[in-house]
Amino acid sequence: MANFWRNPLFGWGVDRAEDSQPTLPHRPPQEPWDETRQSKVEMFPVGRPRLYYKWPGHGGWTWNRKRYWPTRRRLLNIRGEYNPKTMRREKTIVDKRPLWWVMALSFMVIAPWLMPEDYQTTLLTAGATFAIYAAINLVWMLVIGTAGIYSLATYAVVGAAGFGTAWLSINLGVPWYVLPFIGSAIGLVFGLIIAIPATRLDGFYYALLTLGLNELCRVYALQSKIFGSSTGGLYGADTYISEHWDDATQSLVAYFACLTLMVLALVLFRFVNGKRIGRVLRMAPEKREAFAEATGVNFRQARIMVFVVSSIALGFIGGFYTAHYRGVSFSIFSFDTVLLGVAMLVIGGIGRAEGAVAGAAIVIFLDKALLSLGPIRLIIIGAIMLGVVLFLRGGLFGIKPQFRAWRDKKKSERRSTRAEKGGEMLPEEATETRDKDLIYWRRYDKMQRDYLKKLVSPEVIEEHRKSPLGQHSEALERLLLYFRRAPLSDKYAIIAVEPFKAYRIVALSGQRGVAPRIVEDRIYASQEEAYHGIFMRRVQDLLES
Amino acid sequence: MDLGFIITNAIVLSCIYGTLAIGISITWSSVGLINLAYGFIFAFAGYGAWYAAQFLSENGAVVLAAGILSGAFAGIVVCALAFIPIHDKPNFNVRGLIATLAISLIGTQGLMWWFGPRSKNLPDIFGSWSVMLGDMALTADKIGNVVTSIAFVAAVVLWMRSSRRGLEIRAMMMNPHAASIVGIGVRSTGFYVMAITGGMAGLAAVLLSQTYYISPFGGLTPMIKGVSIALCGGLGSVQGAVIAAVILGFNEAITSVTLGGQYVLITQFILIIAILLVRPRGIAGILDRAREA
Amino acid sequence: MSERAAVLRVKGLSAGYGPMRVLHDLDLVVHAGERLGIVGLNGHGKSTLFYAIAGLTGWQRGSILLNGVEVGRTRSQGPGRYTHEVVRQGLALIPQGDEIFHGLTVEEHLDSGAFTPRAWKERAQRKARVLEIFPPLHKLMRTPVGRLSGGERRMVSIGRGLMAEAALFLVDEPSLGLAPKIGKGVMDALMGVDLGQSAMVIAEQNVSLLEGRVDRIIGMHVGKLKGEAGASMTLHTVREL
Repeated sequence: MANFWRNPLFGWGVDRAEDSQPTLPHRPPQEPWDETRQSKVEMFPVGRPRLYYKWPGHGGWTWNRKRYWPTRRRLLNIRGEYNPKTMRREKTIVDKRPLWWVMALSFMVIAPWLMPEDYQTTLLTAGATFAIYAAINLVWMLVIGTAGIYSLATYAVVGAAGFGTAWLSINLGVPWYVLPFIGSAIGLVFGLIIAIPATRLDGFYYALLTLGLNELCRVYALQSKIFGSSTGGLYGADTYISEHWDDATQSLVAYFACLTLMVLALVLFRFVNGKRIGRVLRMAPEKREAFAEATGVNFRQARIMVFVVSSIALGFIGGFYTAHYRGVSFSIFSFDTVLLGVAMLVIGGIGRAEGAVAGAAIVIFLDKALLSLGPIRLIIIGAIMLGVVLFLRGGLFGIKPQFRAWRDKKKSERRSTRAEKGGEMLPEEATETRDKDLIYWRRYDKMQRDYLKKLVSPEVIEEHRKSPLGQHSEALERLLLYFRRAPLSDKYAIIAVEPFKAYRIVALSGQRGVAPRIVEDRIYASQEEAYHGIFMRRVQDLLES
Repeated sequence: MDLGFIITNAIVLSCIYGTLAIGISITWSSVGLINLAYGFIFAFAGYGAWYAAQFLSENGAVVLAAGILSGAFAGIVVCALAFIPIHDKPNFNVRGLIATLAISLIGTQGLMWWFGPRSKNLPDIFGSWSVMLGDMALTADKIGNVVTSIAFVAAVVLWMRSSRRGLEIRAMMMNPHAASIVGIGVRSTGFYVMAITGGMAGLAAVLLSQTYYISPFGGLTPMIKGVSIALCGGLGSVQGAVIAAVILGFNEAITSVTLGGQYVLITQFILIIAILLVRPRGIAGILDRAREA
Repeated sequence: MSERAAVLRVKGLSAGYGPMRVLHDLDLVVHAGERLGIVGLNGHGKSTLFYAIAGLTGWQRGSILLNGVEVGRTRSQGPGRYTHEVVRQGLALIPQGDEIFHGLTVEEHLDSGAFTPRAWKERAQRKARVLEIFPPLHKLMRTPVGRLSGGERRMVSIGRGLMAEAALFLVDEPSLGLAPKIGKGVMDALMGVDLGQSAMVIAEQNVSLLEGRVDRIIGMHVGKLKGEAGASMTLHTVREL
């Protein structure tokens, strides 16, 4: 410990210079350098993995943007970019959904020829059911997802149109090709009636009300004689499936008719959800309507419009339903039908077309394939629905974004465990910084501080207290040089309250014209004491950093 | 079919449905869950009471207690499945609603699977005496229904007004975030609330089974009536639910006298829609406003 | 150095919401009987620090010792799930803005601050004590809180915090949104509270309201505490005054 620093100025009789001062032994600044260079931490992968396949770019073709009529969209949304490492052109397909849709739809088209002969009729019937339910779901998704109206009366509209058209067809002999259009008219009337409360009520009030309306329809149809309360439904309507065809043709025609209906519903979904009205409604989500309204979005009108349009579409589906099954049964109004419909929407994910279709496929499959199990299959569907709603935020198709959000959260949590103190940039921060010099400056600064921290000792502080100005030992000199180099903002300074009597420590603002702020209440009697006060503060800051 | 008979009937039914409605109302406003599994709780409690009557004793008090307890149990199960896992996740309201729908699907199908579709009936729990009031006979089950449901609801409301737990529940009704800051355990309070409202459903199930039967899907109609009353009264308001129950009960009585029984639901919904169009949050939906603020 | 016990000892606390990290590896010690000010601009994590102590942030990690009991935990979801347990350990958080129950009367409101069983038993005395600090509430005991003015609400909110049998009071921006005069009054009331063995931490943007009235002030800047060294050193300098 007995290490002394000899003041070279002492021999020259400088004021207040002392012959020797106790000080620290010399420490080479090489130490922190070596320590930093040593690899002692686990190496974590930094940045993001490349999740997309990058197609190689081929020149001018990248810039060719074909649009398909009648929209101004491109067939595929392709982003052209340069690889930051290799500087090669590459392309990313930003949205691969069109590809999936094409694949899925073409599979549905060729499916009848891939089916085993024995099951063909059964499978085609199931396929037709699936397509009808998918169409209903797509339209329902417009109401719930796009318009944000929690209506549970969808099947009530379909059923009302179905019963109306069936009654007309049986009693007045209306031919099948008119039924969907009559159904649309019924749907329009029904939709307008249900839309009245939707203008005033929000969210759950409306859900509960429509649940009641559904029940009302069921009870009414059950009790009224003209809707066949004795036969369990209304049957005997005109149908597009001719009696003269053989069984295979009948089911094939039915299947393709239903598939066409589903594609029509998809087109409707695309044209309502993907166009201006869908955008407008996405600006006014639940609970933020007031804000949307303030920015000039007439969301009420848009909502009602979507609601009425989808009611017409539902009526159309209802008419088609009658023409397909030759009638309707009461079960379309039952609570279980609503539950299964909700299950389809929820399993797929609310707000997405693919969710509506995939959910319908899953639920119809479970419902038809496990028919022998009786009520247990509904329990299974309920369990899947419960699981999806408890664990997934947006159904099956929401897994990807949910997983990403979860991974980002975990990442930043993990970062917080391995972050070292001292201002060095964290790896994730470093990859995002544009000025890479800053990374090295911060690292250098940290090494310097690590080194300087070791120089702080009672001897050095004592030395500074004795003479804040003048020649100092090496350790103190290094500290002071570092402190003096601090950036101007928040740099400590001394203000003279009364010259030679009272001084205060302030911190500079670093901005021209902005007065420094007072750091502490303490008044120092002399300039030297104030110097030492600043020194102590800086030492504290250093030790703390 | 005289007027007195219909009016007493309406009073009895509105007492029972009012109990259900208050249960739904309290659930929504305190834990923010629209409990559409209420029909399942109702049916489950009915079967619980049936079991008790079958294997324990046909004593009215025992059957009633069994119904209330099994209803509370079903409420706790619903809470554990639909409230606890997601109550602090985004979009809880919608997801909770769907979760209760799923529970209702599972539960009613499970009951159907276990007990079969045949309905059961409970013994008379209030005996079979009657009182003559003027020229109409008030049977034991009517008086018993009215007295029991009013007493139970009054007890619950009083308890909520005066006790520490009640203050907890009411605080959570108004501002769940602040409630957790004050030191109220959201989850345990959720269990209390769901147990109490489940007990209400159980009580209603036993009382209603004096007139109707118990079946797996028998809870649906009472639930929809309860929901309509709760809606009409304003979700979250006990007074509103009481007023709405009275209004709708009399609507039912008047409609069945003047128009006929099959028009009851139609007039009821026209009435509800009219009320909701004038006051979108029901007769006394003021508390609800406070919750969303 | 202090022989007084540390009421709160935070070590290596990081916290945030989702992918965002607000607090960076933060250390803080609060001693019994101490009034501590935390100063910092909007969005620098003052409220998050309080919320993290109460377990209300999206995720957090690091150690939080409240009266020697570990209440911080590595938590990645469920904000507020354990808050009531922390409160039972003796935390009273007086949050920013008006986290009040609109429909309850002032009296019920004050009662709701005393949810721990012991505090509940002696809530009459506690209410009397709070009314001593905030005499204007006397007349308002039966009024629903939703009908009060901003200053009165703040009094109720703070009064609710003081009702608790707490070892640590965290007061978040007591003067925010109030007229300067009322804000000063609220601050005076906070200074008038007899702490005994408990401690109080006040977060504030306006330094002048705190200066010279609290035992020490710590600055907060982008999720880190600044402008003060370890607590022992500062206590030392403060005592010299």
